[in-house]
Amino acid sequence: MIDTVRVAVLYGFGINCDHETKAVFEMAGAEAERIHVNELVNGDKDLADYHIMAVPGGFSFGDHLGSGRLLGNRLRFGIREMVQDFVKSGKLVIGICNGFQVLVKMGLLPGDEEVSLSQTASLTLNNTGHYEDRWVHLEFDPASPCVWTKGLERIRVPVRHGEGKFVTTIDANLDEWAENGQLVVRYVDPNDAYPSAGDESLPFPICPNASMRNIAGVCDPTGRVFGLMPHPEANHSTWLGATWTREMPEHGEGEGMAIFHNAVNFAKENL
Amino acid sequence: MGDVPVHLIEVTPRELPGLQDTRGESIRSMLAADHNLSVGKVRSITGYQVKANLSPSELLQSLQDLFTDPIIELGTANKSLLDDKSLFPEPPELAIMVGFKPGVTDNAAQAALDGFYTLFPAQKDAQIATTMTYLFWDVPTDTDAVWLAKTLHNQMIERAALANTNHCSNSVWPQLSFPERPTVTFAPPATIDLEVSNEKLIEISEEGLLALNLEEMQAVQAHYRDPDIQAARKALGLPMTAPTDVELECLAQTWSEHCSHKIFAAKIHHVDTETGEDSEINSLFKTHIMQPTLDMQKEVDWLLSIFHDNSGVIEWTDDWSLCIKAETHNSPSALDPFGGAMTGIVGVNRDILGTGLGARPIANMDVFCFGPPDYDGDLPGGLFHPSRVLRGVHAGIRAGGNESGIPTVNGAIVFDDRFIGKPLVYAGTVGIMPRHLPDGRESHDKTPSAGDIVYMLGGRVGSDGIHGATFSSLELTEESPSSAVQIGDPITQKKMIDMVLEARDAGLIQVITDNGAGGLSSSVGEMAELTGGAELNLAVVPLKQPGLSSWEILVSESQERMTVGVSEENIPAFEALAALHEVEATAVGTFTNSGAFIVKHGEKTVAHLPMDFMHDGCPQLNLESEWKQPVHDEPKYPKSNANDMGKILERILARPNVASKEWWVRQYDHEVIAQSVIKPFCGVNHDAPGDAAVIAPLHGDTRGAVVSCGIVPRYSDIDAYAMTAASIDEAVRNAVCVGVDLDKIAGLDNFCWPDPIESEKTPDGRFKLAQLVRSNRALDDVCRAYNLPCISGKDSMKNDAKLDGKKISIPPTLLYTVLGDHQDVRKAVSSDFKDKGDQIYLLGETHQELGASELSYMLAEETGGGIGNDVPQIDTTRNLTLYRALTSAMSKGLVRSAHDCSDGGLATAVAECCFGCDGATTINLDGLVTDNTDLWAVMFGESLGRILVSVKPENTSEFESAMAGNAVAHIGTVDDKKTLQFELEGEPVLKASLSKLLHSWKDTLNMGGEH
Repeated sequence: MIDTVRVAVLYGFGINCDHETKAVFEMAGAEAERIHVNELVNGDKDLADYHIMAVPGGFSFGDHLGSGRLLGNRLRFGIREMVQDFVKSGKLVIGICNGFQVLVKMGLLPGDEEVSLSQTASLTLNNTGHYEDRWVHLEFDPASPCVWTKGLERIRVPVRHGEGKFVTTIDANLDEWAENGQLVVRYVDPNDAYPSAGDESLPFPICPNASMRNIAGVCDPTGRVFGLMPHPEANHSTWLGATWTREMPEHGEGEGMAIFHNAVNFAKENL
Repeated sequence: MGDVPVHLIEVTPRELPGLQDTRGESIRSMLAADHNLSVGKVRSITGYQVKANLSPSELLQSLQDLFTDPIIELGTANKSLLDDKSLFPEPPELAIMVGFKPGVTDNAAQAALDGFYTLFPAQKDAQIATTMTYLFWDVPTDTDAVWLAKTLHNQMIERAALANTNHCSNSVWPQLSFPERPTVTFAPPATIDLEVSNEKLIEISEEGLLALNLEEMQAVQAHYRDPDIQAARKALGLPMTAPTDVELECLAQTWSEHCSHKIFAAKIHHVDTETGEDSEINSLFKTHIMQPTLDMQKEVDWLLSIFHDNSGVIEWTDDWSLCIKAETHNSPSALDPFGGAMTGIVGVNRDILGTGLGARPIANMDVFCFGPPDYDGDLPGGLFHPSRVLRGVHAGIRAGGNESGIPTVNGAIVFDDRFIGKPLVYAGTVGIMPRHLPDGRESHDKTPSAGDIVYMLGGRVGSDGIHGATFSSLELTEESPSSAVQIGDPITQKKMIDMVLEARDAGLIQVITDNGAGGLSSSVGEMAELTGGAELNLAVVPLKQPGLSSWEILVSESQERMTVGVSEENIPAFEALAALHEVEATAVGTFTNSGAFIVKHGEKTVAHLPMDFMHDGCPQLNLESEWKQPVHDEPKYPKSNANDMGKILERILARPNVASKEWWVRQYDHEVIAQSVIKPFCGVNHDAPGDAAVIAPLHGDTRGAVVSCGIVPRYSDIDAYAMTAASIDEAVRNAVCVGVDLDKIAGLDNFCWPDPIESEKTPDGRFKLAQLVRSNRALDDVCRAYNLPCISGKDSMKNDAKLDGKKISIPPTLLYTVLGDHQDVRKAVSSDFKDKGDQIYLLGETHQELGASELSYMLAEETGGGIGNDVPQIDTTRNLTLYRALTSAMSKGLVRSAHDCSDGGLATAVAECCFGCDGATTINLDGLVTDNTDLWAVMFGESLGRILVSVKPENTSEFESAMAGNAVAHIGTVDDKKTLQFELEGEPVLKASLSKLLHSWKDTLNMGGEH
């Protein structure tokens, strides 16, 4: 049991959701700090001093050479052991949007028990061929080991990406990840009764990017490393919802906050 | 370096089930949508030309760990993918390779180089360039391959190589050489002899692209005849009696219309032939923009910084200020839509970053005026088709905003044939800054002292972007220089923004401004006014390429640069922060109090410009203005039954000015920063239009800010006074619709005008200037009436194009932007109708005012006839009373929806609100149609001050009493019908299927093919 959960929110090189990512962890009761990637590379800061690492959304290096690849390489080659030790020590990692792309391209997601940092999946251009900002409905796998998504059924959050199509070239991989509960979050049609997440491709824009099996996010085999394309941090308060003016909600925390509460609570109790 | 080999890396997406070549597909769908060209298949190959000494194993590593995604791509090094028959069993029919011209910013290559250093830190001399090759199969036989290549690249900045069917079948693939920058030889500063004839003075100005007129050239000439000046020059070793080219260029930048707004500062003789007025106006800016705001500043305490900084600053909360600025980037966007628009948005972001001691950009607004995307008339040579301009500008704004992490929260797209000659690209940004820094300084005030070190931060200086400021002060011609075109680099800028804001909070910045128009000459020259001088050394300025001349380094507008003043004791901390963020920071000079701007190149002094001459030496223009009311034919109204009227509404909704811009706007990130309360879209299906943006930038806090805009260029065809009044009213009305606090609203005026100076090439200059006079008077009248201070603004006064000998002038256009406070975003209102049973009201008065309306333009195109003369008139007292009553009712929670009634009138507004709840209704027009106001005016007229609202049934009486004294018409009930109907005295006068209306509205500007 720890009193203060410390979160390292990475930024630099075009990451741009660092402020709101820091804010949601603070709303969830953690102490969050923006850490420039170079502060880790230079040794000014050490990941070991934190319980959670968040790689926020953005456009690191302008998405050139494939979203997330260049920042992924900075981490993979610059602080490889620091990241491996962090994950192996059971600490938590989240990658959101560009951060998810980074984690996938550096091989941390869907990942493996050894934390070998070898890439097994990718995120590529949406079938529409362009970037879009639109709200989607997400559904979570209740059987997943993911500590970030415990108890979540469905939430509404925006996607904001041009390269969010989750793909792999080996079907067996997908089956294995599904078996492990690693395909933790998928796009769903809100008109279908819960639970409805399935493998059959949903049409645009319900699945906004033509991801294989409608995958919106995945976790590693331990469930402690989690990444997703949509932005739960963008729905931190009810007044940020896409249709809140129609719903006249009791105002307070938004639907995205549960993810951050889960992580902070898990860290408090287990790290 | 000549011996270093160039390795060619090629990468293409793998084709497997579920994977596609999306880049190729996008080209295929663009060709179908824009050119009606149906191509069977398009594939793409990304190329990297890597100029470096690499071992075979290093080459392989770079291919595997950097250039190729191991899952979804295939790559090769130094052999063509096209030769691999397993990949491409059938050769393509056409192959077109596109690459940048030497010296053009190649962001992908820059990123690749950074990734290359991550793998090979020792390879500091490596160079990389990128190419894109498109491969085509099943191409219609009559397709002109050269035309296709031109469609896929912009010759201003790019090169292309083409392999035709014959080449392809023989495995001869297109190739481009490495884009080596041509060697530039340093030319020592020249002396320009101004003791010449007047004709020769003009020639010097024109040939040098200085854009200075005779009086201005004579003022420069006179300066160098001053004995005191001559003595000072002698002491510095400068030519005594004539300027150096460095000085002349610097003056041309400082005195350019773009930088010094000479037309707004001119003395104008104004004649009104309608009223007999004959008067003199000494500066439109001082009289009609500055004075009203200064008068309002006496009444409120929240106008912190107006007119003198890069953006206007207002106090927002006790702890935070907001600032706002909009710019235009019209000429560059005409030449290179992508690069021009991108540098426009990242440029105005720097204006925010350079406000006070630095503000954080938190919201972008982008407003475009283009030729119609479906234009099929003649296109003068040298012009891009409007659809290409639209795509390019949009892509530039999208990349610039999205990659910088700044949400695009508000905007508009306006279409008119006359914008074919010169598109208007307005880019605006809102910023936030703490009221006070940790060290106690107010962050909106710059605090430089003589002795502070001048740092240049961010990008390097190149030959790109030379003469941007003077060029935008000239008419667009075939000879427009390609050096005026640039491409932005949002990531370099993003790193710089991160660094500057940390430097600000650490108290390391004394003064900061951006390097935009005029480059260092403007940024250092302007800030030097604060201390009374500066000394700059060009020899230490980091360059993209060696050999640039002194004047080029001084005036180059190369992007992503800020100029910062740092006090000596803060140098180590400032430089350490720059290093952490990988931002280049170079000390290039010192602020002084010598009274002069002195420029050295190494030991040699190359310019000496007294501050007072630089900033006050430009002679005032004297201009002539004459107003005569134009007269238009009246529209011809076709006899129409209710179904015909339904068709008319369908066609109105399909007109590009009214049609949904969703396909375009969705491609902007409008939600980064997690602050977006009222978004560009609302309604049950997220597709109904929002009126204004509401943001809550302090996470978890319910205090908000409102951003809205108004723009109605076509009203200028009748009267620019009406155009201006309507634009301001629309901006305010939009803000009212979301519940703005009318006690704290501030405005931005952005004028785009055709050249209003009478001359041989502008024989109607007096009329165009009279339009400007009337526009300014409207601004003065309306802003005073609404207590709406203009806190910043900009003008672009040469929006004419001369091509193929034909002159095309834009309609005089004002973009008015409102930034307002919102006390509690939980009370914000959206435009969509909510629940069945809610009561619908039209607020405000409708008059017979169809002149220059969307309906009149449509009827003029369909049936002949004119646009009419009854342009909507403003009644500010009536409007403001209503707006105050409505926002007060909103704060009590009495209003369920509110939508502005503007383009396309009431019928359009009702349809849009119905889209929001996916249900149609019946609207009763009894009482609205009168002896003075006919059905056309009631349904399609655009009278100002009108808002369509809905109210819960249980709140109607409280709402009606809250609105007492205003024009309030109860016109219907929110419903879930399939057919939208308008009735008069029980008879239907308009009937239309809601789903057909929705399709008409959505399809026009959906240019991607997906639904």
